[in-house]
Amino acid sequence: MKCKIAQERIVTAAYGELADEQAQELERHLAGCAECDKEREQLLALKVLAGAYPVVEPDANLAVRSRLRLAEALDALPPRRWYDRLGQRVRNNVASLQAAPVAACLLLAVGVGAGVLGGNELAMNRARHAAAVQAMQAQSQPAPAAVSTAPAEIANVSSIVRQPNSHRVEVRYNQLVPQRIEGSLDDPAIRQLLMLASENSASAGVRDDSVGLMAAECKAGHGCQKAAGIRDALMVALRYDKNEGVREKALHGLEPYVAEDVRVRDAVLEALMNDGDPRIRTAAINILEPVEADTSVRQVLYSVSNSDSNPHIRNVSRQVLNSVPEIQ
Amino acid sequence: MLARAPEMELIREAQAGSRAAFDTLVRQYEQQVLRLALHLTGSEHDAEDIYQEAFMKAYRYLGNFRFECSFYTWIYRIVTNLCLDQLRRRKTRREDRSVILDHSGGEIDVLASVSDDRSFSNPARELDRKLLGERIQTALEKLTPRERMVFELKHYQGLRLRVIGEMLSTTEETAKNTLFRATKKLRTQLAGLR
Repeated sequence: MKCKIAQERIVTAAYGELADEQAQELERHLAGCAECDKEREQLLALKVLAGAYPVVEPDANLAVRSRLRLAEALDALPPRRWYDRLGQRVRNNVASLQAAPVAACLLLAVGVGAGVLGGNELAMNRARHAAAVQAMQAQSQPAPAAVSTAPAEIANVSSIVRQPNSHRVEVRYNQLVPQRIEGSLDDPAIRQLLMLASENSASAGVRDDSVGLMAAECKAGHGCQKAAGIRDALMVALRYDKNEGVREKALHGLEPYVAEDVRVRDAVLEALMNDGDPRIRTAAINILEPVEADTSVRQVLYSVSNSDSNPHIRNVSRQVLNSVPEIQ
Repeated sequence: MLARAPEMELIREAQAGSRAAFDTLVRQYEQQVLRLALHLTGSEHDAEDIYQEAFMKAYRYLGNFRFECSFYTWIYRIVTNLCLDQLRRRKTRREDRSVILDHSGGEIDVLASVSDDRSFSNPARELDRKLLGERIQTALEKLTPRERMVFELKHYQGLRLRVIGEMLSTTEETAKNTLFRATKKLRTQLAGLR
Protein backbone atom coordinates (compact mmCIF):
# COMPACT_ATOMS: atom_id res chain seq x y z
CA MET A 1 0.00 0.00 0.00
CA LYS A 2 1.28 3.46 -0.84
CA CYS A 3 1.75 5.92 2.01
CA LYS A 4 -0.64 8.42 0.39
CA ILE A 5 -3.47 5.89 0.41
CA ALA A 6 -2.51 4.74 3.91
CA GLN A 7 -2.69 8.30 5.20
CA GLU A 8 -6.15 8.80 3.73
CA ARG A 9 -7.26 5.54 5.27
CA ILE A 10 -5.84 6.51 8.65
CA VAL A 11 -8.44 9.30 8.74
CA THR A 12 -11.34 7.09 7.73
CA ALA A 13 -10.18 4.41 10.18
CA ALA A 14 -9.92 6.94 13.01
CA TYR A 15 -13.54 7.85 12.40
CA GLY A 16 -14.65 4.22 12.19
CA GLU A 17 -15.45 4.25 8.48
CA LEU A 18 -12.85 1.88 7.07
CA ALA A 19 -13.92 -1.57 5.92
CA ASP A 20 -12.45 -4.47 7.92
CA GLU A 21 -10.30 -5.77 5.08
CA GLN A 22 -8.82 -2.35 4.37
CA ALA A 23 -8.29 -1.80 8.08
CA GLN A 24 -6.24 -4.96 8.36
CA GLU A 25 -4.26 -3.99 5.27
CA LEU A 26 -3.65 -0.59 6.87
CA GLU A 27 -2.50 -2.17 10.15
CA ARG A 28 0.03 -4.27 8.27
CA HIS A 29 1.30 -1.16 6.49
CA LEU A 30 1.53 0.79 9.75
CA ALA A 31 3.44 -2.01 11.43
CA GLY A 32 6.19 -1.51 8.87
CA CYS A 33 6.01 2.23 8.18
CA ALA A 34 7.12 4.54 10.96
CA GLU A 35 6.11 7.67 9.05
CA CYS A 36 2.51 6.60 8.57
CA ASP A 37 2.36 5.30 12.15
CA LYS A 38 3.40 8.78 13.26
CA GLU A 39 0.60 10.20 11.09
CA ARG A 40 -1.88 8.07 12.98
CA GLU A 41 -0.51 9.24 16.32
CA GLN A 42 -0.83 12.85 15.20
CA LEU A 43 -4.39 12.32 14.06
CA LEU A 44 -5.29 10.72 17.37
CA ALA A 45 -3.74 13.71 19.12
CA LEU A 46 -5.85 16.03 16.94
CA LYS A 47 -8.99 14.13 17.86
CA VAL A 48 -8.14 14.56 21.51
CA LEU A 49 -7.26 18.23 21.13
CA ALA A 50 -10.47 18.99 19.25
CA GLY A 51 -12.32 17.87 22.37
CA ALA A 52 -11.15 21.07 24.04
CA TYR A 53 -13.76 22.94 21.98
CA PRO A 54 -16.76 20.87 23.03
CA VAL A 55 -20.26 20.87 21.66
CA VAL A 56 -22.43 22.41 24.35
CA GLU A 57 -26.09 21.71 24.89
CA PRO A 58 -28.08 24.79 23.88
CA ASP A 59 -29.42 26.78 26.77
CA ALA A 60 -33.08 25.98 27.50
CA ASN A 61 -33.92 29.67 27.24
CA LEU A 62 -32.46 29.78 23.75
CA ALA A 63 -34.70 26.91 22.65
CA VAL A 64 -37.81 28.49 24.18
CA ARG A 65 -36.99 31.89 22.70
CA SER A 66 -36.40 30.40 19.25
CA ARG A 67 -39.61 28.39 19.42
CA LEU A 68 -41.69 31.42 20.38
CA ARG A 69 -40.17 33.51 17.61
CA LEU A 70 -40.88 30.76 15.09
CA ALA A 71 -44.47 30.39 16.32
CA GLU A 72 -45.02 34.13 15.89
CA ALA A 73 -43.64 34.05 12.36
CA LEU A 74 -45.78 31.04 11.44
CA ASP A 75 -48.88 32.67 12.91
CA ALA A 76 -48.22 35.72 10.78
CA LEU A 77 -48.24 33.69 7.58
CA PRO A 78 -51.51 33.87 5.64
CA PRO A 79 -53.45 30.60 6.04
CA ARG A 80 -53.00 28.19 3.22
CA ARG A 81 -56.00 28.13 0.93
CA TRP A 82 -57.56 24.91 -0.22
CA TYR A 83 -56.32 25.56 -3.77
CA ASP A 84 -52.72 25.95 -2.49
CA ARG A 85 -52.89 22.52 -0.94
CA LEU A 86 -54.59 21.10 -4.01
CA GLY A 87 -51.90 22.65 -6.20
CA GLN A 88 -49.19 21.14 -4.01
CA ARG A 89 -50.83 17.74 -4.17
CA VAL A 90 -51.10 17.96 -7.95
CA ARG A 91 -47.43 18.97 -8.22
CA ASN A 92 -46.40 16.02 -6.05
CA ASN A 93 -48.52 13.64 -8.07
CA VAL A 94 -47.09 15.01 -11.30
CA ALA A 95 -43.60 14.52 -9.91
CA SER A 96 -44.35 10.91 -9.03
CA LEU A 97 -46.00 10.37 -12.41
CA GLN A 98 -42.84 11.59 -14.13
CA ALA A 99 -41.23 8.38 -13.02
CA ALA A 100 -44.02 6.26 -14.51
CA PRO A 101 -42.75 6.17 -18.12
CA VAL A 102 -39.34 5.15 -16.85
CA ALA A 103 -40.87 2.36 -14.81
CA ALA A 104 -42.95 1.25 -17.81
CA CYS A 105 -39.86 1.18 -20.05
CA LEU A 106 -37.98 -0.80 -17.45
CA LEU A 107 -40.81 -3.33 -17.18
CA LEU A 108 -40.89 -3.63 -20.97
CA ALA A 109 -37.14 -4.11 -21.11
CA VAL A 110 -37.29 -6.77 -18.38
CA GLY A 111 -40.11 -8.56 -20.23
CA VAL A 112 -38.28 -8.51 -23.54
CA GLY A 113 -35.05 -9.60 -21.85
CA ALA A 114 -36.76 -12.49 -20.09
CA GLY A 115 -38.36 -13.60 -23.35
CA VAL A 116 -35.09 -13.52 -25.28
CA LEU A 117 -33.16 -15.31 -22.55
CA GLY A 118 -35.90 -17.90 -22.06
CA GLY A 119 -36.07 -18.66 -25.79
CA ASN A 120 -32.33 -18.82 -26.03
CA GLU A 121 -32.10 -21.19 -23.05
CA LEU A 122 -34.79 -23.45 -24.58
CA ALA A 123 -32.96 -23.59 -27.92
CA MET A 124 -29.66 -24.33 -26.21
CA ASN A 125 -31.21 -27.13 -24.16
CA ARG A 126 -32.53 -28.71 -27.31
CA ALA A 127 -29.15 -28.40 -28.99
CA ARG A 128 -27.40 -29.88 -25.96
CA HIS A 129 -29.82 -32.79 -25.87
CA ALA A 130 -29.24 -33.51 -29.57
CA ALA A 131 -25.48 -33.28 -29.14
CA ALA A 132 -25.56 -35.64 -26.17
CA VAL A 133 -27.54 -38.23 -28.11
CA GLN A 134 -25.11 -37.89 -31.01
CA ALA A 135 -22.12 -38.18 -28.71
CA MET A 136 -23.47 -41.33 -27.07
CA GLN A 137 -23.98 -42.88 -30.42
CA ALA A 138 -20.55 -41.96 -31.74
CA GLN A 139 -18.63 -42.59 -28.53
CA SER A 140 -15.55 -44.69 -29.17
CA GLN A 141 -13.64 -44.00 -25.98
CA PRO A 142 -14.58 -44.73 -22.37
CA ALA A 143 -16.32 -41.97 -20.47
CA PRO A 144 -13.95 -39.70 -18.56
CA ALA A 145 -13.65 -40.37 -14.87
CA ALA A 146 -16.01 -38.23 -12.79
CA VAL A 147 -14.44 -35.69 -10.53
CA SER A 148 -14.20 -37.61 -7.33
CA THR A 149 -14.02 -34.52 -5.22
CA ALA A 150 -17.08 -32.98 -3.65
CA PRO A 151 -17.72 -29.53 -5.19
CA ALA A 152 -17.22 -27.85 -1.83
CA GLU A 153 -13.60 -28.92 -1.83
CA ILE A 154 -12.83 -27.34 -5.20
CA ALA A 155 -11.24 -23.96 -4.59
CA ASN A 156 -11.34 -22.77 -8.19
CA VAL A 157 -11.03 -23.78 -11.82
CA SER A 158 -7.80 -22.48 -13.33
CA SER A 159 -8.15 -23.41 -17.02
CA ILE A 160 -10.45 -25.10 -19.53
CA VAL A 161 -9.09 -26.40 -22.85
CA ARG A 162 -11.25 -28.15 -25.43
CA GLN A 163 -9.37 -30.53 -27.67
CA PRO A 164 -9.85 -29.66 -31.38
CA ASN A 165 -12.60 -31.53 -33.21
CA SER A 166 -13.51 -33.51 -30.12
CA HIS A 167 -15.85 -33.55 -27.18
CA ARG A 168 -12.97 -33.94 -24.81
CA VAL A 169 -12.19 -31.08 -22.49
CA GLU A 170 -9.30 -30.63 -20.09
CA VAL A 171 -10.23 -28.77 -16.90
CA ARG A 172 -7.54 -27.82 -14.40
CA TYR A 173 -8.79 -27.11 -10.91
CA ASN A 174 -7.44 -26.56 -7.42
CA GLN A 175 -8.69 -28.27 -4.32
CA LEU A 176 -8.95 -27.11 -0.77
CA VAL A 177 -7.49 -29.79 1.41
CA PRO A 178 -8.26 -29.47 5.13
CA GLN A 179 -5.14 -29.76 7.27
CA ARG A 180 -4.49 -30.22 10.94
CA ILE A 181 -1.55 -29.25 13.04
CA GLU A 182 -0.84 -29.88 16.68
CA GLY A 183 1.96 -28.41 18.72
CA SER A 184 3.10 -26.22 21.55
CA LEU A 185 1.94 -22.64 21.90
CA ASP A 186 5.60 -21.70 21.42
CA ASP A 187 5.62 -23.26 17.98
CA PRO A 188 5.96 -20.42 15.41
CA ALA A 189 3.62 -22.23 13.00
CA ILE A 190 0.92 -22.47 15.69
CA ARG A 191 1.38 -18.81 16.58
CA GLN A 192 1.16 -17.84 12.92
CA LEU A 193 -2.12 -19.72 12.61
CA LEU A 194 -3.49 -18.11 15.77
CA MET A 195 -2.71 -14.66 14.38
CA LEU A 196 -4.30 -15.57 11.06
CA ALA A 197 -7.39 -16.92 12.83
CA SER A 198 -7.75 -13.74 14.86
CA GLU A 199 -7.99 -11.64 11.70
CA ASN A 200 -9.59 -13.82 9.09
CA SER A 201 -11.93 -16.30 10.62
CA ALA A 202 -15.58 -15.83 9.75
CA SER A 203 -16.45 -17.53 13.02
CA ALA A 204 -16.50 -15.34 16.13
CA GLY A 205 -15.87 -18.49 18.17
CA VAL A 206 -12.58 -19.20 16.40
CA ARG A 207 -11.49 -15.58 16.73
CA ASP A 208 -12.42 -15.69 20.40
CA ASP A 209 -10.35 -18.84 20.94
CA SER A 210 -7.31 -17.49 19.12
CA VAL A 211 -7.41 -14.04 20.74
CA GLY A 212 -8.03 -15.66 24.14
CA LEU A 213 -4.94 -17.84 23.80
CA MET A 214 -2.75 -15.00 22.55
CA ALA A 215 -4.02 -12.68 25.29
CA ALA A 216 -3.19 -15.28 27.95
CA GLU A 217 0.32 -15.60 26.52
CA CYS A 218 0.79 -11.84 26.60
CA LYS A 219 -0.61 -11.60 30.12
CA ALA A 220 1.93 -14.17 31.21
CA GLY A 221 4.65 -12.15 29.43
CA HIS A 222 5.39 -15.11 27.24
CA GLY A 223 6.53 -14.53 23.65
CA CYS A 224 4.71 -11.21 23.31
CA GLN A 225 7.63 -9.01 22.35
CA LYS A 226 7.05 -6.09 20.02
CA ALA A 227 8.42 -7.88 16.99
CA ALA A 228 6.61 -11.16 17.60
CA GLY A 229 3.42 -9.95 15.95
CA ILE A 230 1.03 -11.18 18.63
CA ARG A 231 0.77 -7.75 20.20
CA ASP A 232 -0.15 -6.29 16.79
CA ALA A 233 -2.77 -9.00 16.27
CA LEU A 234 -4.32 -8.13 19.65
CA MET A 235 -4.37 -4.42 18.75
CA VAL A 236 -6.12 -5.20 15.46
CA ALA A 237 -8.67 -7.33 17.31
CA LEU A 238 -9.24 -4.58 19.89
CA ARG A 239 -9.78 -1.95 17.21
CA TYR A 240 -11.79 -3.82 14.63
CA ASP A 241 -13.28 -7.11 15.85
CA LYS A 242 -17.06 -7.00 15.70
CA ASN A 243 -17.45 -9.25 18.71
CA GLU A 244 -17.22 -7.48 22.06
CA GLY A 245 -16.00 -10.64 23.86
CA VAL A 246 -13.05 -10.86 21.49
CA ARG A 247 -12.25 -7.15 21.92
CA GLU A 248 -12.41 -7.50 25.70
CA LYS A 249 -9.95 -10.41 25.68
CA ALA A 250 -7.61 -8.49 23.39
CA LEU A 251 -7.75 -5.51 25.74
CA HIS A 252 -6.78 -7.59 28.76
CA GLY A 253 -3.97 -9.21 26.81
CA LEU A 254 -2.52 -5.79 26.05
CA GLU A 255 -2.67 -4.61 29.67
CA PRO A 256 0.98 -5.38 30.61
CA TYR A 257 2.29 -3.31 27.69
CA VAL A 258 0.29 -0.12 28.08
CA ALA A 259 3.14 1.63 29.93
CA GLU A 260 6.02 0.60 27.70
CA ASP A 261 4.44 0.62 24.23
CA VAL A 262 2.90 3.87 22.93
CA ARG A 263 1.08 2.02 20.16
CA VAL A 264 -0.69 -0.15 22.73
CA ARG A 265 -1.57 2.97 24.71
CA ASP A 266 -3.06 4.56 21.58
CA ALA A 267 -5.11 1.46 20.85
CA VAL A 268 -6.46 1.42 24.42
CA LEU A 269 -7.24 5.15 24.22
CA GLU A 270 -9.11 4.61 20.97
CA ALA A 271 -11.11 1.84 22.64
CA LEU A 272 -11.91 4.20 25.52
CA MET A 273 -13.14 6.85 23.11
CA ASN A 274 -14.82 4.80 20.43
CA ASP A 275 -15.75 1.31 21.60
CA GLY A 276 -19.50 0.76 21.54
CA ASP A 277 -19.47 -1.49 24.61
CA PRO A 278 -19.42 0.38 27.96
CA ARG A 279 -17.78 -2.64 29.68
CA ILE A 280 -14.79 -2.33 27.38
CA ARG A 281 -14.59 1.43 27.84
CA THR A 282 -14.67 0.93 31.63
CA ALA A 283 -12.01 -1.79 31.42
CA ALA A 284 -9.88 0.54 29.28
CA ILE A 285 -9.95 3.19 32.03
CA ASN A 286 -8.72 0.67 34.59
CA ILE A 287 -5.98 -0.56 32.30
CA LEU A 288 -4.66 2.96 31.80
CA GLU A 289 -3.82 3.27 35.49
CA PRO A 290 -0.01 3.11 35.08
CA VAL A 291 -0.06 5.97 32.57
CA GLU A 292 -2.82 8.15 33.98
CA ALA A 293 -0.48 11.12 34.31
CA ASP A 294 0.39 10.99 30.62
CA THR A 295 -0.89 14.08 28.77
CA SER A 296 -2.65 12.23 25.97
CA VAL A 297 -4.31 9.90 28.49
CA ARG A 298 -5.50 12.82 30.57
CA GLN A 299 -6.90 14.54 27.48
CA VAL A 300 -8.87 11.46 26.56
CA LEU A 301 -10.09 10.97 30.12
CA TYR A 302 -11.11 14.60 30.16
CA SER A 303 -12.99 14.24 26.89
CA VAL A 304 -14.68 11.03 28.09
CA SER A 305 -15.59 12.60 31.42
CA ASN A 306 -17.48 15.26 29.47
CA SER A 307 -18.98 13.46 26.56
CA ASP A 308 -19.34 9.70 27.19
CA SER A 309 -22.95 8.63 26.88
CA ASN A 310 -22.62 6.45 29.98
CA PRO A 311 -22.85 8.36 33.30
CA HIS A 312 -20.88 5.69 35.16
CA ILE A 313 -17.96 6.03 32.74
CA ARG A 314 -18.08 9.81 32.95
CA ASN A 315 -17.99 9.52 36.71
CA VAL A 316 -15.13 7.00 36.81
CA SER A 317 -12.98 9.07 34.44
CA ARG A 318 -13.59 12.16 36.57
CA GLN A 319 -12.56 10.27 39.68
CA VAL A 320 -9.38 9.10 37.97
CA LEU A 321 -8.58 12.63 36.82
CA ASN A 322 -9.24 13.84 40.33
CA SER A 323 -6.95 11.32 41.92
CA VAL A 324 -3.97 11.98 39.67
CA PRO A 325 -1.73 14.86 40.67
CA GLU A 326 -1.61 17.81 38.28
CA ILE A 327 0.97 17.42 35.55
CA GLN A 328 3.92 19.68 35.81
CA MET B 1 -35.30 10.14 17.03
CA LEU B 2 -38.89 9.23 16.32
CA ALA B 3 -39.75 5.79 15.07
CA ARG B 4 -40.04 5.80 11.29
CA ALA B 5 -43.79 5.13 10.98
CA PRO B 6 -45.10 7.77 13.43
CA GLU B 7 -42.70 10.31 11.93
CA MET B 8 -44.07 9.58 8.46
CA GLU B 9 -47.58 10.11 9.79
CA LEU B 10 -46.53 13.42 11.33
CA ILE B 11 -44.94 14.59 8.10
CA ARG B 12 -48.01 13.64 6.10
CA GLU B 13 -50.25 15.47 8.55
CA ALA B 14 -47.99 18.52 8.44
CA GLN B 15 -48.02 18.36 4.64
CA ALA B 16 -51.80 18.30 4.79
CA GLY B 17 -51.67 21.54 6.77
CA SER B 18 -51.59 20.43 10.42
CA ARG B 19 -49.69 23.03 12.38
CA ALA B 20 -49.68 20.79 15.49
CA ALA B 21 -47.91 18.06 13.54
CA PHE B 22 -45.35 20.55 12.26
CA ASP B 23 -44.75 21.85 15.80
CA THR B 24 -44.10 18.29 16.97
CA LEU B 25 -41.54 17.87 14.21
CA VAL B 26 -39.89 21.14 15.22
CA ARG B 27 -39.63 20.01 18.84
CA GLN B 28 -38.18 16.74 17.70
CA TYR B 29 -35.29 18.34 15.83
CA GLU B 30 -34.79 21.76 17.42
CA GLN B 31 -32.09 20.71 19.91
CA GLN B 32 -29.98 19.17 17.17
CA VAL B 33 -30.45 22.20 14.93
CA LEU B 34 -29.48 24.61 17.69
CA ARG B 35 -26.53 22.51 18.83
CA LEU B 36 -25.08 22.41 15.33
CA ALA B 37 -25.71 26.07 14.56
CA LEU B 38 -24.34 27.20 17.93
CA HIS B 39 -21.15 25.21 17.65
CA LEU B 40 -20.55 26.28 14.07
CA THR B 41 -21.32 29.95 14.39
CA GLY B 42 -20.34 30.47 18.04
CA SER B 43 -23.18 32.93 18.45
CA GLU B 44 -26.55 32.40 20.10
CA HIS B 45 -27.93 35.19 17.99
CA ASP B 46 -26.84 33.54 14.73
CA ALA B 47 -28.00 30.15 15.95
CA GLU B 48 -31.43 31.60 16.69
CA ASP B 49 -31.59 33.16 13.20
CA ILE B 50 -30.57 29.90 11.58
CA TYR B 51 -33.22 28.03 13.61
CA GLN B 52 -35.85 30.50 12.49
CA GLU B 53 -34.89 30.48 8.85
CA ALA B 54 -34.45 26.69 8.72
CA PHE B 55 -37.86 25.85 10.14
CA MET B 56 -39.59 28.56 8.11
CA LYS B 57 -38.07 27.03 4.97
CA ALA B 58 -39.05 23.57 6.15
CA TYR B 59 -42.63 24.77 6.67
CA ARG B 60 -42.74 26.44 3.28
CA TYR B 61 -41.26 23.53 1.34
CA LEU B 62 -42.54 20.59 3.38
CA GLY B 63 -44.91 19.79 0.53
CA ASN B 64 -41.87 19.06 -1.65
CA PHE B 65 -40.57 16.42 0.77
CA ARG B 66 -41.21 13.07 -0.92
CA PHE B 67 -39.64 10.62 1.58
CA GLU B 68 -36.71 9.96 -0.74
CA CYS B 69 -34.35 10.55 2.17
CA SER B 70 -34.93 10.67 5.91
CA PHE B 71 -36.56 13.79 7.28
CA TYR B 72 -33.51 14.18 9.51
CA THR B 73 -31.27 14.39 6.42
CA TRP B 74 -33.66 16.80 4.74
CA ILE B 75 -33.85 19.22 7.66
CA TYR B 76 -30.10 18.96 8.27
CA ARG B 77 -29.51 19.78 4.61
CA ILE B 78 -31.45 23.01 5.05
CA VAL B 79 -29.55 23.84 8.23
CA THR B 80 -26.10 23.04 6.84
CA ASN B 81 -26.77 25.24 3.81
CA LEU B 82 -27.78 28.12 6.05
CA CYS B 83 -24.72 27.56 8.26
CA LEU B 84 -22.46 27.44 5.20
CA ASP B 85 -23.85 30.80 4.06
CA GLN B 86 -23.20 32.15 7.54
CA LEU B 87 -19.62 30.81 7.59
CA ARG B 88 -18.95 32.31 4.16
CA ARG B 89 -20.14 35.69 5.39
CA ARG B 90 -17.96 35.23 8.45
CA LYS B 91 -14.88 34.71 6.32
CA THR B 92 -15.09 38.32 5.32
CA ARG B 93 -15.46 39.67 8.85
CA ARG B 94 -13.46 37.55 11.21
CA GLU B 95 -14.30 37.98 14.86
CA ASP B 96 -12.77 36.93 18.13
CA ARG B 97 -14.28 33.52 18.71
CA SER B 98 -12.95 32.79 22.16
CA VAL B 99 -16.43 33.45 23.47
CA ILE B 100 -19.91 33.03 22.09
CA LEU B 101 -22.40 35.84 22.11
CA ASP B 102 -25.80 35.51 23.69
CA HIS B 103 -28.93 37.07 22.21
CA SER B 104 -28.29 40.40 23.88
CA GLY B 105 -24.69 40.52 22.69
CA GLY B 106 -23.27 39.46 26.06
CA GLU B 107 -20.32 37.07 26.12
CA ILE B 108 -20.61 33.46 27.22
CA ASP B 109 -17.50 31.35 27.70
CA VAL B 110 -18.39 28.03 26.12
CA LEU B 111 -15.58 26.15 27.79
CA ALA B 112 -16.21 27.56 31.24
CA SER B 113 -19.90 26.76 30.98
CA VAL B 114 -19.08 23.10 30.48
CA SER B 115 -16.95 22.68 33.54
CA ASP B 116 -18.76 24.75 36.14
CA ASP B 117 -20.07 21.68 37.87
CA ARG B 118 -16.70 19.95 37.98
CA SER B 119 -15.42 19.75 41.50
CA PHE B 120 -11.84 19.05 40.46
CA SER B 121 -11.43 22.06 38.26
CA ASN B 122 -8.90 24.64 39.30
CA PRO B 123 -8.13 28.10 37.90
CA ALA B 124 -4.79 27.17 36.30
CA ARG B 125 -6.25 24.22 34.47
CA GLU B 126 -9.32 26.23 33.48
CA LEU B 127 -7.04 28.82 31.94
CA ASP B 128 -5.03 26.19 30.03
CA ARG B 129 -8.21 24.62 28.76
CA LYS B 130 -9.68 27.94 27.74
CA LEU B 131 -6.53 28.86 25.83
CA LEU B 132 -6.51 25.47 24.17
CA GLY B 133 -10.17 25.84 23.22
CA GLU B 134 -9.43 29.22 21.68
CA ARG B 135 -6.60 27.75 19.63
CA ILE B 136 -8.91 25.03 18.36
CA GLN B 137 -11.58 27.59 17.44
CA THR B 138 -9.03 29.72 15.60
CA ALA B 139 -7.73 26.68 13.73
CA LEU B 140 -11.28 25.64 12.80
CA GLU B 141 -11.97 29.10 11.43
CA LYS B 142 -9.04 28.84 9.08
CA LEU B 143 -10.69 25.94 7.26
CA THR B 144 -12.83 26.66 4.24
CA PRO B 145 -16.56 26.73 5.11
CA ARG B 146 -17.03 23.34 3.45
CA GLU B 147 -14.08 21.75 5.25
CA ARG B 148 -15.32 23.21 8.50
CA MET B 149 -18.78 21.80 7.86
CA VAL B 150 -17.56 18.29 7.02
CA PHE B 151 -15.26 18.24 10.06
CA GLU B 152 -18.09 19.50 12.27
CA LEU B 153 -20.58 16.93 10.99
CA LYS B 154 -18.07 14.09 11.28
CA HIS B 155 -16.04 14.89 14.36
CA TYR B 156 -18.49 16.74 16.56
CA GLN B 157 -21.85 15.49 15.34
CA GLY B 158 -20.65 11.93 14.58
CA LEU B 159 -22.49 11.53 11.27
CA ARG B 160 -21.52 8.94 8.66
CA LEU B 161 -19.64 10.24 5.61
CA ARG B 162 -22.39 8.89 3.35
CA VAL B 163 -24.98 10.96 5.20
CA ILE B 164 -22.70 14.01 5.17
CA GLY B 165 -22.36 13.60 1.40
CA GLU B 166 -26.14 13.47 1.08
CA MET B 167 -26.59 16.55 3.22
CA LEU B 168 -24.06 18.56 1.28
CA SER B 169 -25.39 17.26 -2.07
CA THR B 170 -22.12 15.58 -2.91
CA THR B 171 -20.63 12.10 -2.85
CA GLU B 172 -19.28 10.11 0.08
CA GLU B 173 -15.88 10.12 -1.63
CA THR B 174 -15.82 13.92 -1.85
CA ALA B 175 -16.86 14.19 1.79
CA LYS B 176 -14.02 11.81 2.68
CA ASN B 177 -11.47 13.86 0.74
CA THR B 178 -12.73 17.05 2.35
CA LEU B 179 -12.41 15.49 5.80
CA PHE B 180 -8.86 14.41 4.95
CA ARG B 181 -7.93 17.95 3.89
CA ALA B 182 -9.56 19.41 7.00
CA THR B 183 -7.68 17.12 9.40
CA LYS B 184 -4.41 17.79 7.59
CA LYS B 185 -4.87 21.56 7.87
CA LEU B 186 -5.90 21.31 11.50
CA ARG B 187 -2.86 19.20 12.34
CA THR B 188 -0.61 21.79 10.73
CA GLN B 189 -2.36 24.57 12.63
CA LEU B 190 -2.15 22.79 15.95
CA ALA B 191 1.28 21.19 15.51
CA GLY B 192 2.83 23.06 18.43
CA LEU B 193 0.19 21.99 20.92
CA ARG B 194 0.95 18.30 21.21
